Amino acid sequence: MNFELKVALRFLKDGRGQTVFILLGIAVGVAVQVFINTLIAGLQIDLVNQTVGKSPHVWMVGQSSYEAALAANEDANYFRGNFEALTSPLKNWENIETILGSRTDLTAIVPVAEGSAFLIRTEETVPVVIKGMDIADADGIYGISESIVSGTASPGGDQILIGSGIASDYNLEIGDIVTLTIPGIRNQNYTIGGIFSLGSVTDDTWVVMRLSQAQKFLGLGSDVSKIEMQVADVYSAETIGGELQARFSGASVNNWIENNTSLLAALNSQSMSSLIIQIFVLFSITLGIASVLAVSVVQKSKQIGILKAMGTKDRQVSRIFLFQGAMMGVLGALAGGGMGVGMVRMFLWGTSLETGTPLFPLTIEWVRIVVILSIVVASSTLAAVIPARRSLKLNPVEVIRNG
Amino acid sequence: MAEKTNCKYVLKAEGLVKVYGTTVKTEVLHGLNFSVKSGEFTSIIGYSGSGKSTLLNILGALDVPTEGRILFCGEDYGKMKPDELADFRNKNLGFIFQFHHLLPEFTAIENVLIPTWISGVSGHQREKMNRRAEELLEMVGLKAFIHNKSTDLSGGQQQRVAIARALINDPTILLGDEPTGNLDTETTDQIYDLFRKINQTYGTTLIMVTHNDQIAKRSDRIIELIDGRIHSDREKAEETRADVG
Ligand SMILES: Nc1ncnc2c1ncn2[C@@H]1O[C@H](COP(=O)(O)OP(=O)(O)O)[C@@H](O)[C@H]1O
Ligand SMILES: [Mg+2]
Repeated sequence: MNFELKVALRFLKDGRGQTVFILLGIAVGVAVQVFINTLIAGLQIDLVNQTVGKSPHVWMVGQSSYEAALAANEDANYFRGNFEALTSPLKNWENIETILGSRTDLTAIVPVAEGSAFLIRTEETVPVVIKGMDIADADGIYGISESIVSGTASPGGDQILIGSGIASDYNLEIGDIVTLTIPGIRNQNYTIGGIFSLGSVTDDTWVVMRLSQAQKFLGLGSDVSKIEMQVADVYSAETIGGELQARFSGASVNNWIENNTSLLAALNSQSMSSLIIQIFVLFSITLGIASVLAVSVVQKSKQIGILKAMGTKDRQVSRIFLFQGAMMGVLGALAGGGMGVGMVRMFLWGTSLETGTPLFPLTIEWVRIVVILSIVVASSTLAAVIPARRSLKLNPVEVIRNG
Repeated sequence: MAEKTNCKYVLKAEGLVKVYGTTVKTEVLHGLNFSVKSGEFTSIIGYSGSGKSTLLNILGALDVPTEGRILFCGEDYGKMKPDELADFRNKNLGFIFQFHHLLPEFTAIENVLIPTWISGVSGHQREKMNRRAEELLEMVGLKAFIHNKSTDLSGGQQQRVAIARALINDPTILLGDEPTGNLDTETTDQIYDLFRKINQTYGTTLIMVTHNDQIAKRSDRIIELIDGRIHSDREKAEETRADVG
């Protein structure tokens, strides 16, 4: 074994109590880092997933007639209130869909015919949202097939699907006939073919039907209202949205990020505070090691003096202390990493005691942990730099003289 | 007697002056000149405070003179870089201090081996060095204690480990600052015999600062310092040296 390493190891072993305490300190700090890091990451993934897991990340609508008018640069006194609909239907959407289909960063593309209507059931009039889409396409975003609580997932003929909230509020069952109406425009009877429960407010408002059914009911002809999309990396929605907007200047492209600025700001400040906690933990680990080694330089001044007298070079002496710092870092980091993973497992176990599933899922990301541990080892080694430099000033003659 | 080097004077001190302090200056050595022959056993004696330790530390390249220079076989210490000096001390000099100064974290044999670790011994050399360390410890009468923690040894035993340590790299010069200073007469005698044996077996040049008349009288040459000056420098005739031990 390398001489400096051997001496460093022996110095650490000899300062048993001191070494154990500082190692414990490092380990606890690292454990906190690993735990907080995993917790915050898990929490954020869960929050984002709840927000956009089952909704479109990017969507494209036809330009509003207001915007269209502006784009046409007409001098007339247009103002928003003049227009019944803020958006106009998307024409030529099949072509757009084909072009979108060639992009690999889009994981779901769903053309939707959407509009408001009332559902009439005997005396009751219920405001609903008509979502016309091919169920197979829609599953890519909403997972409707797997959310069916009764009836069919593939409505045929005059069948439609309704949300479980509507079904229970108005006592609707499979096979019941209901009327959908757009006052003054259309009245149409439909049979309830299935009831879905997506676990969100949409269960109280959505009526899902086939795209062609909705096109006909809403009077869209062969147009759709919009194309909804999901992307592989939710945080890239803004970029992808921008690209699509540039590509399809006649349409209007939106994304979830612009619509959730406050959530994202909250996530950001959460990440920031997690980072600050971790920096402070790292800082105190570093200070702890630096102070232990500073004391050690004084405690071992006699040994260092002798080693120097026997021909140990300054470089070697400082390496003895750098190695001590590094070894404390490695041992503390490994112990702390283990403790941190243990804490994560405890959390998962503890929060699932009552409900059977954890409060929110946490995944132990080894890459993240390895990064934390490496930073700790690097800072521990850095912490030894000042003590190591101090050891250089030790004059062997002083030590020899004073016994 | 085996010669270690082919130069006649292994050490030459030329005009050594040592001044301590920067604001209040104390001149401790006032221009010393002398040479040490290869294979010679020299004692340096003198009252406490006469500058013996200061001189020895300068001879051992641990301290630098304020004026003058030291030549080792003609080579000036002052011209060597810090790393070269460290290497030089490791390879050519062996130190024995008054307060033995073993590293308490290591065993007896490990302490003896430390100088070889410093210079870095390769794989096959390591075995050889281990055997040499064992032999040296056996020579100083510590065969049974080689794996003892150095703190578990008596003062005399520790001092003998320190002697073995000073010899491990087969130094040209062995320097001792009152190496028997706090040992009893019987141990002192044994250690003197050991010095003589080392001197005769390996041809090592010995320079020992000592208070002990017994040791001084039995060495080849006695340099007496008074107030930082050489008061007397007595050499025994060559032919009487061998049978002194
Ligand atoms: N670092 C130092 N600073 C100032 N004075 C010193 C220092 N070291 C030694 N001295 C003084 O130098 C003189 C010689 O000391 P030293 O060489 O230790 O003598 P000896 O070993 O013969 O007792 C003493 O007066 C001592 O006080
Ligand atoms: Mg002295």
